[in-house]
Amino acid sequence: MFVRFGFPRMFDDLLEDVVVRDFARVAPSFPAIDVAEHESEFVLVAEMPGVKKEDLKITFEDSILTLSGERKPYEIPQDARVLLNEVRVREFTRSVRMPSDIQVEKISAKLENGVLRIVLPKAESARIRNIEIK
Amino acid sequence: MGNNGKESVIRRGNSALARRSETMERFITPVADIYETADAFVVKLDMPGATKDSISVGVEPGNLTAKGVVGEYHGQNSDLLLGEIGRRSYYREFNLTEGIDHKDVEAEFEDGVLTIRLPKSEKMRTKEIPIK
Repeated sequence: MFVRFGFPRMFDDLLEDVVVRDFARVAPSFPAIDVAEHESEFVLVAEMPGVKKEDLKITFEDSILTLSGERKPYEIPQDARVLLNEVRVREFTRSVRMPSDIQVEKISAKLENGVLRIVLPKAESARIRNIEIK
Repeated sequence: MGNNGKESVIRRGNSALARRSETMERFITPVADIYETADAFVVKLDMPGATKDSISVGVEPGNLTAKGVVGEYHGQNSDLLLGEIGRRSYYREFNLTEGIDHKDVEAEFEDGVLTIRLPKSEKMRTKEIPIK
Protein backbone atom coordinates (compact mmCIF):
# COMPACT_ATOMS: atom_id res chain seq x y z
CA MET A 1 0.00 0.00 0.00
CA PHE A 2 2.80 2.42 0.76
CA VAL A 3 4.36 2.39 -2.68
CA ARG A 4 5.45 5.93 -3.35
CA PHE A 5 5.66 6.00 -7.13
CA GLY A 6 3.36 5.37 -10.02
CA PHE A 7 0.11 7.14 -9.30
CA PRO A 8 0.79 10.26 -7.32
CA ARG A 9 -2.69 11.71 -7.39
CA MET A 10 -4.41 8.45 -6.71
CA PHE A 11 -2.05 7.78 -3.87
CA ASP A 12 -2.88 11.10 -2.32
CA ASP A 13 -6.55 10.26 -2.43
CA LEU A 14 -6.01 6.82 -1.00
CA LEU A 15 -3.79 8.03 1.78
CA GLU A 16 -6.24 10.69 2.70
CA ASP A 17 -8.89 8.09 3.20
CA VAL A 18 -6.67 5.90 5.33
CA VAL A 19 -5.48 8.73 7.51
CA VAL A 20 -8.93 10.08 8.05
CA ARG A 21 -10.73 6.85 8.82
CA ASP A 22 -8.23 4.92 10.91
CA PHE A 23 -6.78 7.45 13.24
CA ALA A 24 -9.87 8.39 15.20
CA ARG A 25 -9.15 7.60 18.81
CA VAL A 26 -10.30 8.24 22.30
CA ALA A 27 -7.74 9.79 24.64
CA PRO A 28 -6.57 7.13 27.11
CA SER A 29 -7.13 9.35 30.10
CA PHE A 30 -9.78 12.01 30.34
CA PRO A 31 -9.08 14.83 30.59
CA ALA A 32 -5.63 14.96 28.94
CA ILE A 33 -3.42 17.27 31.01
CA ASP A 34 -0.39 19.50 30.48
CA VAL A 35 1.45 21.09 33.38
CA ALA A 36 3.96 23.84 32.62
CA GLU A 37 6.27 25.53 35.08
CA HIS A 38 6.89 29.23 34.70
CA GLU A 39 9.17 31.40 36.81
CA SER A 40 6.51 32.34 39.31
CA GLU A 41 3.64 29.96 38.66
CA PHE A 42 2.49 26.60 37.38
CA VAL A 43 -0.09 26.41 34.63
CA LEU A 44 -2.24 23.32 34.26
CA VAL A 45 -4.19 22.84 31.04
CA ALA A 46 -6.80 20.10 30.74
CA GLU A 47 -8.84 19.30 27.65
CA MET A 48 -12.42 18.41 28.48
CA PRO A 49 -14.72 18.92 25.51
CA GLY A 50 -18.41 18.97 26.28
CA VAL A 51 -17.94 19.58 30.01
CA LYS A 52 -19.94 22.46 31.49
CA LYS A 53 -18.61 24.68 34.25
CA GLU A 54 -21.33 23.55 36.64
CA ASP A 55 -20.37 19.90 36.14
CA LEU A 56 -16.73 20.41 37.13
CA LYS A 57 -15.17 20.56 40.60
CA ILE A 58 -11.61 21.63 41.37
CA THR A 59 -10.03 21.05 44.78
CA PHE A 60 -6.56 21.65 46.16
CA GLU A 61 -5.40 19.86 49.24
CA ASP A 62 -1.97 19.02 50.56
CA SER A 63 -0.19 19.96 47.28
CA ILE A 64 -2.60 17.83 45.28
CA LEU A 65 -4.88 19.40 42.70
CA THR A 66 -7.91 17.31 41.83
CA LEU A 67 -10.29 17.74 38.92
CA SER A 68 -13.50 15.82 39.07
CA GLY A 69 -16.63 16.10 37.03
CA GLU A 70 -18.83 14.65 34.42
CA ARG A 71 -19.30 14.95 30.72
CA LYS A 72 -23.04 14.73 30.36
CA PRO A 73 -24.82 13.53 27.24
CA TYR A 74 -26.15 16.22 24.92
CA GLU A 75 -29.80 16.35 24.03
CA ILE A 76 -30.87 14.34 21.05
CA PRO A 77 -34.36 14.30 19.51
CA GLN A 78 -36.46 11.26 20.31
CA ASP A 79 -36.85 10.16 16.71
CA ALA A 80 -33.10 10.37 15.99
CA ARG A 81 -31.14 7.42 14.66
CA VAL A 82 -27.51 7.18 15.81
CA LEU A 83 -25.16 6.54 12.89
CA LEU A 84 -21.80 6.94 14.62
CA ASN A 85 -20.92 7.09 18.31
CA GLU A 86 -17.27 7.63 19.22
CA VAL A 87 -17.73 10.30 21.86
CA ARG A 88 -17.76 8.91 25.38
CA VAL A 89 -19.76 10.53 28.11
CA ARG A 90 -18.34 9.81 31.51
CA GLU A 91 -17.45 10.82 35.01
CA PHE A 92 -13.82 11.56 35.66
CA THR A 93 -11.35 12.28 38.44
CA ARG A 94 -7.72 13.18 37.97
CA SER A 95 -5.16 14.40 40.48
CA VAL A 96 -1.82 16.10 40.01
CA ARG A 97 0.73 16.72 42.75
CA MET A 98 2.34 20.14 42.53
CA PRO A 99 6.12 19.97 42.95
CA SER A 100 6.45 23.02 45.19
CA ASP A 101 4.45 25.21 47.54
CA ILE A 102 1.52 27.09 46.07
CA GLN A 103 -0.26 30.26 47.18
CA VAL A 104 -3.54 28.45 47.53
CA GLU A 105 -5.72 31.54 47.86
CA LYS A 106 -4.41 32.87 44.52
CA ILE A 107 -5.22 29.83 42.39
CA SER A 108 -7.45 30.79 39.46
CA ALA A 109 -9.28 28.69 36.88
CA LYS A 110 -11.01 29.33 33.57
CA LEU A 111 -12.96 26.96 31.32
CA GLU A 112 -13.13 28.01 27.68
CA ASN A 113 -13.67 26.14 24.39
CA GLY A 114 -13.48 22.83 26.24
CA VAL A 115 -10.13 23.68 27.81
CA LEU A 116 -9.61 24.22 31.53
CA ARG A 117 -6.71 26.46 32.45
CA ILE A 118 -5.58 26.70 36.08
CA VAL A 119 -2.89 29.13 37.20
CA LEU A 120 -1.17 28.19 40.47
CA PRO A 121 1.19 30.92 41.71
CA LYS A 122 4.24 29.61 43.55
CA ALA A 123 4.74 30.49 47.18
CA GLU A 124 7.51 33.01 47.77
CA SER A 125 9.67 30.32 49.33
CA ALA A 126 9.47 28.19 46.20
CA ARG A 127 10.67 30.80 43.72
CA ILE A 128 14.18 30.69 42.40
CA ARG A 129 16.08 33.75 43.44
CA ASN A 130 19.48 34.95 42.42
CA ILE A 131 21.47 35.86 45.48
CA GLU A 132 23.61 38.88 45.06
CA ILE A 133 27.23 38.39 46.15
CA LYS A 134 28.59 41.28 48.08
CA MET B 1 -17.31 30.01 8.70
CA GLY B 2 -18.81 29.27 5.29
CA ASN B 3 -16.20 31.23 3.37
CA ASN B 4 -13.32 29.64 5.20
CA GLY B 5 -14.62 26.21 4.45
CA LYS B 6 -14.84 26.96 0.76
CA GLU B 7 -11.35 28.33 0.69
CA SER B 8 -9.84 25.29 2.32
CA VAL B 9 -11.59 22.97 -0.10
CA ILE B 10 -10.13 24.85 -3.05
CA ARG B 11 -6.67 24.86 -1.56
CA ARG B 12 -6.81 21.15 -0.96
CA GLY B 13 -7.56 20.50 -4.59
CA ASN B 14 -4.62 22.59 -5.72
CA SER B 15 -1.89 21.23 -3.52
CA ALA B 16 -2.69 17.71 -2.50
CA LEU B 17 0.93 16.96 -1.75
CA ALA B 18 1.41 19.83 0.67
CA ARG B 19 -1.75 18.94 2.44
CA ARG B 20 -0.79 15.31 2.71
CA SER B 21 2.29 16.08 4.76
CA GLU B 22 0.23 18.44 6.85
CA THR B 23 -2.27 15.69 7.52
CA MET B 24 0.39 13.16 8.42
CA GLU B 25 2.39 15.28 10.79
CA ARG B 26 0.22 17.75 12.55
CA PHE B 27 -3.43 16.85 12.30
CA ILE B 28 -5.30 14.49 14.52
CA THR B 29 -8.71 13.07 13.75
CA PRO B 30 -11.28 14.28 16.27
CA VAL B 31 -13.77 11.74 17.62
CA ALA B 32 -17.27 12.21 16.25
CA ASP B 33 -20.92 11.40 16.81
CA ILE B 34 -23.44 11.45 13.98
CA TYR B 35 -27.19 11.12 14.21
CA GLU B 36 -30.01 11.42 11.75
CA THR B 37 -33.42 12.93 12.31
CA ALA B 38 -36.41 13.21 10.01
CA ASP B 39 -35.10 16.43 8.45
CA ALA B 40 -31.34 16.59 9.06
CA PHE B 41 -28.03 14.89 9.80
CA VAL B 42 -26.12 16.19 12.81
CA VAL B 43 -22.36 15.73 13.17
CA LYS B 44 -20.60 16.46 16.47
CA LEU B 45 -16.81 16.62 16.73
CA ASP B 46 -14.61 17.04 19.81
CA MET B 47 -12.20 19.89 19.10
CA PRO B 48 -11.12 21.20 22.50
CA GLY B 49 -8.89 24.25 22.38
CA ALA B 50 -9.65 25.11 18.77
CA THR B 51 -10.16 28.82 18.37
CA LYS B 52 -13.48 29.80 16.87
CA ASP B 53 -11.78 31.76 14.07
CA SER B 54 -9.69 28.77 13.02
CA ILE B 55 -12.61 26.43 12.49
CA SER B 56 -13.69 25.80 8.96
CA VAL B 57 -16.42 23.56 7.66
CA GLY B 58 -16.40 22.67 3.98
CA VAL B 59 -19.40 21.19 2.23
CA GLU B 60 -19.37 20.07 -1.38
CA PRO B 61 -21.32 17.36 -3.19
CA GLY B 62 -20.44 14.05 -1.56
CA ASN B 63 -17.96 15.49 0.89
CA LEU B 64 -17.85 17.21 4.30
CA THR B 65 -14.66 18.49 5.91
CA ALA B 66 -14.10 19.99 9.34
CA LYS B 67 -10.90 21.62 10.45
CA GLY B 68 -9.71 23.55 13.48
CA VAL B 69 -6.45 24.84 14.92
CA VAL B 70 -5.54 24.87 18.60
CA GLY B 71 -4.03 28.03 20.01
CA GLU B 72 -0.79 28.08 22.01
CA TYR B 73 -1.23 26.70 25.54
CA HIS B 74 2.16 27.54 27.02
CA GLY B 75 4.48 30.46 26.48
CA GLN B 76 8.12 30.13 25.56
CA ASN B 77 9.53 30.67 29.03
CA SER B 78 8.14 27.55 30.60
CA ASP B 79 9.14 23.93 31.19
CA LEU B 80 6.61 21.25 30.44
CA LEU B 81 6.42 18.96 33.49
CA LEU B 82 3.57 16.88 32.14
CA GLY B 83 2.61 16.84 28.47
CA GLU B 84 -0.29 14.66 27.44
CA ILE B 85 -1.94 17.03 24.99
CA GLY B 86 0.75 17.85 22.46
CA ARG B 87 -1.33 18.27 19.32
CA ARG B 88 -2.19 21.37 17.45
CA SER B 89 -4.87 20.81 14.81
CA TYR B 90 -7.93 18.78 13.97
CA TYR B 91 -9.04 17.53 10.59
CA ARG B 92 -11.73 15.09 9.55
CA GLU B 93 -13.50 14.29 6.35
CA PHE B 94 -16.77 12.45 5.75
CA ASN B 95 -18.56 11.13 2.72
CA LEU B 96 -21.87 12.88 2.31
CA THR B 97 -24.99 11.24 1.09
CA GLU B 98 -26.98 12.89 -1.68
CA GLY B 99 -29.91 15.06 -0.80
CA ILE B 100 -28.25 17.56 1.53
CA ASP B 101 -29.34 21.15 1.33
CA HIS B 102 -25.83 22.62 0.98
CA LYS B 103 -26.68 26.25 1.39
CA ASP B 104 -28.46 25.73 4.70
CA VAL B 105 -25.71 23.89 6.53
CA GLU B 106 -25.17 25.36 10.00
CA ALA B 107 -22.19 25.06 12.33
CA GLU B 108 -21.81 25.95 15.98
CA PHE B 109 -18.87 25.67 18.39
CA GLU B 110 -19.53 25.35 22.10
CA ASP B 111 -17.50 23.90 24.98
CA GLY B 112 -14.94 22.60 22.50
CA VAL B 113 -17.53 20.65 20.52
CA LEU B 114 -18.25 21.51 16.88
CA THR B 115 -21.82 20.74 15.84
CA ILE B 116 -22.66 20.70 12.15
CA ARG B 117 -26.28 20.47 11.07
CA LEU B 118 -26.90 19.27 7.52
CA PRO B 119 -30.54 19.71 6.55
CA LYS B 120 -32.01 17.18 4.17
CA SER B 121 -33.46 18.47 0.95
CA GLU B 122 -37.22 18.40 0.73
CA LYS B 123 -37.46 15.10 -1.10
CA MET B 124 -35.16 13.30 1.38
CA ARG B 125 -37.21 14.14 4.43
CA THR B 126 -39.15 11.49 6.21
CA LYS B 127 -42.84 12.14 5.90
CA GLU B 128 -45.47 10.52 7.94
CA ILE B 129 -48.32 9.17 5.84
CA PRO B 130 -51.64 9.51 7.56
CA ILE B 131 -53.75 6.35 7.52
CA LYS B 132 -57.27 6.98 6.47
